Amino acid sequence: MAAFRRSLGIRHLVCGSCNGCEHEMNALNNAFYDITKDGWDIVASPRHADVITVTGPMTVAMREAAHATLEATPAPRVVIAVGDCALGEGPWAGAPDAGAGAVIELGATVTVRGCPPTPDAIKAALAEAARHADKD
Amino acid sequence: MTTTRASGAEIFRDRVAEACADGVPLGAYADDHALHYLFLAAQGPYALSHRFDETRIAKAVSGACPALAWDEREMAQERAVHFEDLPDPRPFRWHDGAMPPAVVAHGSGLMHFVVGPVHAGIIEPGRFTFSSGGETLVHLDAQLGYSYRGVERALEGGSAAASAPKVARICGGCSASHSFGYALALEALAGVRVCAEVDLARLVIAELERIYNHVADLAASSAGTGWGVGFARGMALKEEAMRLCAIAGGHRLLFDAVVPGGVAAFALDDRRRIAVEVVKLESHSERFVHALFGNASVSSRWQNAGVLGREIAHALGAVGPAHRASHGTVDVRTFAPYGAYRDLPARVARATGGDAMARCHVKRDELSESFRLIREALALLGDAALPPPLALRAGTGTALATVEGPRGAETIALRIGAGGRLERFHLISASYRNWPCVARAMDDNIVPDFPLVNKSFNLCYACADR
Repeated sequence: MAAFRRSLGIRHLVCGSCNGCEHEMNALNNAFYDITKDGWDIVASPRHADVITVTGPMTVAMREAAHATLEATPAPRVVIAVGDCALGEGPWAGAPDAGAGAVIELGATVTVRGCPPTPDAIKAALAEAARHADKD
Repeated sequence: MTTTRASGAEIFRDRVAEACADGVPLGAYADDHALHYLFLAAQGPYALSHRFDETRIAKAVSGACPALAWDEREMAQERAVHFEDLPDPRPFRWHDGAMPPAVVAHGSGLMHFVVGPVHAGIIEPGRFTFSSGGETLVHLDAQLGYSYRGVERALEGGSAAASAPKVARICGGCSASHSFGYALALEALAGVRVCAEVDLARLVIAELERIYNHVADLAASSAGTGWGVGFARGMALKEEAMRLCAIAGGHRLLFDAVVPGGVAAFALDDRRRIAVEVVKLESHSERFVHALFGNASVSSRWQNAGVLGREIAHALGAVGPAHRASHGTVDVRTFAPYGAYRDLPARVARATGGDAMARCHVKRDELSESFRLIREALALLGDAALPPPLALRAGTGTALATVEGPRGAETIALRIGAGGRLERFHLISASYRNWPCVARAMDDNIVPDFPLVNKSFNLCYACADR
């Protein structure tokens, strides 16, 4: 259970997602997946966060706010790219106002594929982030 | 010559304004050659079009018909249409590295504060600028565009047939509706109609999308009042609905369940199990709705919160539950029936209060109606096999399709050129239509009620921004 030893404050950052990933991120709080049982919580401010989950290809209009959010998050922190768009592989990669996704643009070190990824896949990525956080 | 052109533009402007006053405006877009203003008639959507010359000069309709304000500002920014008389000449969205300035109210004792684009919850990005006197809101400017990916230009130039999976991924919450509209438009261009069985399967898929969305909206509207139990129960119910979507359409959000020419190969495969799950979900839904609407604390917060008056709803071109909760009568499923809705008419849910309560009432009634429609469609479908998608011959020309999504009319306009390439693609989503209504519904409300009022609409950003 070492992976779950560390509690995580999670701040979610939407950077041009279709909202599909948000439907699944929201499912993490429902009675079926309830991440609070793992000691994890979606927090309201990056100031309270250990993990930033990022969705979407990164739009031109969101870039500045996304970097500001990241900078507002205390270290150590883990950035997770959630969904194909955040990995730079989604349907809008190459669209006029779409960027390269969170791996390239925000240095995400944990990734979870899917369009959207299932809540279980996102939970596995959070567990991986918890392990990363333990090493820091 | 200039005078002649200007008067032509004026005549067109007046003709569109008249159609807006008498009919059901859906929105407007421009392509390389012309302006297109779309309306809904009993036979389906139609366009009033006006060719402009190389100057691209046009007269704004939104002075007379404020419903089209966003459309015309967007045409000006994205398609270089030179409206000489836009009531709001600000850029529509992010421009030259900044958001356009927000509109604020000035006066003694008024203060301004900005929320967003990053919000506290798991929500899409938008910037809300509040002008308030104490707790009372005087003006709200909702500025979106942070999710603008350039979807339309990304699609244009691509193969129309191969673009269906992308169209399904413009907006996660309205995916099936957009796929449905896209399929209808392509089928109209190809001159084909899918069989009755496919029509019924599409109805089931579209109503499942309405169910999971309406349940989520009601749950969020409970959260807006601070009733956590209602929120938790509603979100658990939404999870059950998404699992049913996965069983019926192969995807928890129904991505690619409707395809041009048909439905996904595996759609509605296990019909016996689907029927059982639908009955179970309906029973859980009834219990949730009973608890939610029986809670006096919830009702008292919903009542009179975020009133969207009949006149303003009409002037702003509200659609869907927001329109029908403010005296509106239009539901595309019955107003301009398509597919299986021709033979299985939906009972239109309506309310008159225009407040959060009325919007929740409409969604509650639509929810039970969706279950009825699905049960009837499944009964009619029986064990009939669903044929594989029709191969669509690449037609050329322009096509329009409007379907009733969970949030209202979803219109797809497209033009296909040689080789089946998309020359123009435009989506007018229900959220795009309704966002200006959210801002006006907040007038004179207290600022702390914004989450509640906002969630009673529960609009998307992704399909408004595109």
